[in-house]
Formats: sequence, C-alpha cells, structure tokens
Amino acid sequence: MLTGLAVIGVGRFLQQRQDFENATARSYQLEIQARNRLARGAHPEAARAAILTQQHKRQKLRDDISGQTRDTALLVGAGLIAGLTGAALLFSGLIASMRRPLEELVEASGRLAGGDLEARVQVGGLAETAALGTAFNEMAAELQRRAGERDQLETMKDEFVVTASHELRSPLTSVQGFAELLMLERDKLTPRQADTLEIILDNTRHLVRLLNDLLDLARSDAGRLTIKPVPTEVAPLVAEVVRTMRGQTEAAEQVLVEDVAGGLPPLRVDPDRIRQVLLNLLTNAHEYCPERASIRVSAQQIGAEVEVSVKDDGPGIPAGQLEHIFERFTRGDAGLTQRVGGTGLGLAISKSLVELHGGTIGAESVPGEGSTFRITLPTEAAVVPAEAT
Amino acid sequence: MAKVLVADDSETILLLLQTRLEMEGYEVETANDGQEVMDAMHAAAEGATPDLLLLDAMMPRKSGIEALRELRAEGVETPALIVSAHQDAGDADSATELEVSGYVTKPIDFDQLFSSIKQLTS
Repeated sequence: MLTGLAVIGVGRFLQQRQDFENATARSYQLEIQARNRLARGAHPEAARAAILTQQHKRQKLRDDISGQTRDTALLVGAGLIAGLTGAALLFSGLIASMRRPLEELVEASGRLAGGDLEARVQVGGLAETAALGTAFNEMAAELQRRAGERDQLETMKDEFVVTASHELRSPLTSVQGFAELLMLERDKLTPRQADTLEIILDNTRHLVRLLNDLLDLARSDAGRLTIKPVPTEVAPLVAEVVRTMRGQTEAAEQVLVEDVAGGLPPLRVDPDRIRQVLLNLLTNAHEYCPERASIRVSAQQIGAEVEVSVKDDGPGIPAGQLEHIFERFTRGDAGLTQRVGGTGLGLAISKSLVELHGGTIGAESVPGEGSTFRITLPTEAAVVPAEAT
Repeated sequence: MAKVLVADDSETILLLLQTRLEMEGYEVETANDGQEVMDAMHAAAEGATPDLLLLDAMMPRKSGIEALRELRAEGVETPALIVSAHQDAGDADSATELEVSGYVTKPIDFDQLFSSIKQLTS
C-alpha cells in the first residue's frame, strides 16, 4: 500500500512535467508571435509587454515545476522509504516464521544422522516450510521402517545360523563319533584305510570349527556373545596355550618361544575366551609359517594394561591384505590356504572377543620378514576401581 | 561296573554312546525321550537304578531337562550329565536347581566325557 503511494507520486511527477513542458512551449509560441509583431512594427509597446509577460510566465512555470518536483520527490521518497520499511518488516516477519521450522529441521536432521530414527519435526509455519517438514517426516518414517525391516532380517539371519548350527551338530556328532570309533580299531585297518579315516576326521573337525565360529559370529552380531571376566593370571594361560600348540609346531619343526615378563598383574578376562583368541593367533602363525619358522608369544605390562603378542618370522602379510585381516572370511594368500585349515572367521571373532573385554587387537607385518599380532587386555587393578565408583 | 541310563532321540547317537560306553565297560540302558527315562527309572528295581543319567537336553515328548526336573521333584538324586548341541548350555540357574553334574557339548569329546563319568560313578 505504501509502495502504491510511491507509484502514484511518480505518476504525478510525470504528469506535472508534461504540463510544464506544454505550458513552456505555448509561452515560447506566444513570445515568438509578439516578436514578429514587433518586427513588423505593429503595436510595438504591446508586443514588448507581451514578450516580457511570456518571459515572466516561463520563469514562474520553472519555479513552480521545481517546487512541485521537490514535493513529488519528497512524496516518492517518503513512499519508497515507507514501502521499504514495510517490506523489511514484512520480510523479517517472514524470516522469523521460517527460522523456527528451519532450525527445527536442522536439529532433527542432526538427530536423524546421529541414529535417532524417532526424530521428527513439527509441521507448521509457511506453506513452504510446512512442505519441507512433511517431506522430512516422511523420509524419517521411511528410514525408520527400513531400519526395522533390516533389524528383522538381521534377527532372522542370526536365528537361522543358530538353528542351522544346532541342527548340523547332531549328524556331525554321529559322523565324528563313528569315525573315531573306527579309529579305535586302527590296527585292523590297512594303511590306506587309516589315511582315509584320518582325512574324514580332519574334515569333520574343520566343520565343527566352522560351525562354532559361525555361531560365535551370529552371537556377536546379535550382541549375545557374552564373556564372564574373572581375575586371571597371564603366565599359566599363555603356558597352557603354548602346551596345546606344542605338538603341532614341533611336527613342523617350528620354534615356539614363550616370553612372559615376571610380575604381571592379573587380568580381568574370561579365560576360556582369551584362550580361544590366543589359540587362534598361534594357530594362524603355525599354519601360515613354513617349517622351521620361529614363533614367539610375549606378554608385558604397558601402562594399566597387559599386552600379549604373537610374533613370527613367516612370509608376512601384504599391506593390501593387512587392513582387511580382521574382516570375516578374509584369509591370507590363496596359494597358502590350500594347506591352511582356517575358516576365515578366527580373527573376526578374536577381534569381537578382545573388544568385548575392552581391549584392542592389531597386526603389523613386513612381507618377507614376518608378522606380529598384539592384543591388549585390561588388568584386574585397572577395572576394579572403575567398577567401584 | 556302573550302570548308565542314556537318552537321545537320535537312534545313531544313542548307538554311538552305547557302543563307546560299553567298550569302556559300562552297563548301558537306553531311552528315546524323557518319558522313557521316567518309565525306566520307575521300573528299575531297588538297588538296580542307574548310577548316572546321560540325558539329551532337547527331545520330543519330554526333554531331558523336564525329565530331570520331575525326577528331582520325586527325590531322585542320581547324578546327571546333560548333552546339548549348544556351546554354552551351561545355564547356571538350572545347573544349581536341577543338580546337573555337568554339560556335554555336541560333537562329543569322548575323552572328556569318560573322565566326567569316571569321576561321578566312582
């Protein structure tokens, strides 16, 4: 409306200007006629008076028009200022009514990105922000629905693995059990039959290992992999694992060295699970290293934790493989896996187990020189005060 | 020699357990489910009851766990080992409540099983 005033002002200014020019032109015309009469010598006094009158008239017209222009300009200016102020006021109102919903959108997006699938905005404000809000809410609802479906699928997958592993166990028990039964009468078998039986048993054990690993992973995925941490001495645990591996490493003429620092504080771990992790690391070292390689298991205190490492001087792991080594079904060089009996799940499970204890696991390797796997485990002393507070 | 009552719904596993136990010198009685375990326990004459129960945790009709619960309610104190396909069937609550002497995981580690049985029946 105020802007309208400015438009009217500009219109009036143009009209005044037109009137001024018309009047000025008419005045010049009258002066010229008077000058012609003067030149002809007809009524010279009257002609001179007419010329002066027209000159005065034009002077007055000029004074008038500048006054009018100033007024109109003032009017136009006032109109414009008023209009701009109004527009600004209107705009700040507009911005204010947009800002709330937009701030809410930004905040809800942040929550959604952070994993809060319940994040929604209140739909309101201008039509545009309301539409944006509705679109956001629809998107969030869709994300939530898909996440729900995905969770459901994950649960079904985990249940399937648990059931399958359970169902496979009975026939496997029979196969392994009867093969072992036959093995008890090995002296009655021909060497070839005994070898065949040996292969059946090896593969049965491999299947069992695979089933156990798959079950562990399914449990880990479902957050049902549980540990029962108790005070555990490092040295006997390492000694036990080394003892278990000794037969296999000696058969391959590998040197297995145990190097546990004295006076280590007791660990706060589930001994069965850490034994499983250490056995996995040692089995890997044994299986991936050639004959006569040396494998060293060390344990030392680092700060409030104990680090247990398994170092070998085997073929090492190329950098490209090293970064994926803790992922499931990742195994070393395919040429080697021909004779390596792993499932490709051991390190993934070891990682889950160590992390469940609040520890870390890592690997470093120089191809051609060997690999070192390190795990850090919490000590009893480091955990207990934390629990007490 | 000690007498073991073995229950499993799989005929082959029952045959495996029976063969291995008999080779170790045990007297073996078999049952196909928990109900047969109950029947066998009720039918056994005084002094001829089994020295050990080796029960599969999951069986149709009546599971090993259910049978053991009923037997304990009847005051039967025979030591029992529970065989399970689960890796960690060792549920602490039922172990205490049902006085389970141990859990055996499939596939069965017979060396370990025999050492447990030896301990429980001596």
